[in-house]
Amino acid sequence: MNTQFKKGVLELCVLVLLDRKDCYGYEMVDEISKTISISEGTIYPLLKRLKKENMVISYLKESQDGPPRKYYKITVIGKDRKKNLVEEWDQFSMGVNNLIHEKINNSGDINDE
Amino acid sequence: MMNKDEYIEKLSKLLKKLPKGEREDILWDYEEHFMIGLEKGRSEEEISKALGNPKTLAKQIKTEYMVKIAEDKQSASSMFEAILSAAGLGIFNLVFVAVPALILIALLITFFVLAGVMVFGGIYITLAAIIQPLIPLHNFNIMMGDGLLNIFGGILVGIGLTILGLALLAGMYYLTRWLYGLAIKYLKLNLEIIKGRK
Repeated sequence: MNTQFKKGVLELCVLVLLDRKDCYGYEMVDEISKTISISEGTIYPLLKRLKKENMVISYLKESQDGPPRKYYKITVIGKDRKKNLVEEWDQFSMGVNNLIHEKINNSGDINDE
Repeated sequence: MMNKDEYIEKLSKLLKKLPKGEREDILWDYEEHFMIGLEKGRSEEEISKALGNPKTLAKQIKTEYMVKIAEDKQSASSMFEAILSAAGLGIFNLVFVAVPALILIALLITFFVLAGVMVFGGIYITLAAIIQPLIPLHNFNIMMGDGLLNIFGGILVGIGLTILGLALLAGMYYLTRWLYGLAIKYLKLNLEIIKGRK
């Protein structure tokens, strides 16, 4: 898949995950990698940018095993952004799906004739 | 295949151009990623492969950084814009304030000269009115007869003119001071506006 496209989707995924609960970077990478293949490293520059844009904040939290981890928490601005992105995504994916199905139908119609 | 140290070192080298603090902050995230991955039982090579090509990553990081710099520059450019608009205000001032101001200054000078002429003219007429009968041969170019009434009239007109000139001078002095104060106030207001736009 196109890298630019994936990057946009990655932002959406990160915000969706953080809207559910606070996460550390690795945790999100783990979760996202389950469904889409990503270069795991790309999440950190993304998180940095989201932080700069005040969509998330980060804090250190002790972990049971090992040193404290950097957790991320979504902000109100981030939640707004997530809402917009989800809406955009729904519209976009629905549009693409419609187009794909229409195409199949059309070609099917032509084949039938 | 790279192990953790190789990966981090390569990324560090690629990010050499970034400020030290920024670079260390970024590398810290990747070190943490390796640490957690190792805890979860992955190998260093596995993790570095999943992280992706350091070159691509460094490019992404640098791009994000440049965007931030550009945004910072935008505030500088907005300051430039502020200066430009201040200059625009200057042009506005030039047309709508400087021209009337110049006309006003010209009028002020004219009235000052007029007042001066009135004062000196009045003195001249007074003196002429007194002196002319005493030195009849000399022509002072004043249209007056030699009569006593004319002499007194000349003196009166001269003194009156002088007093009027002095009064005008005094009036002009206060008017000028008042206008000067107004101009200062206006300039200060302009400065406030320019400062406010920073």
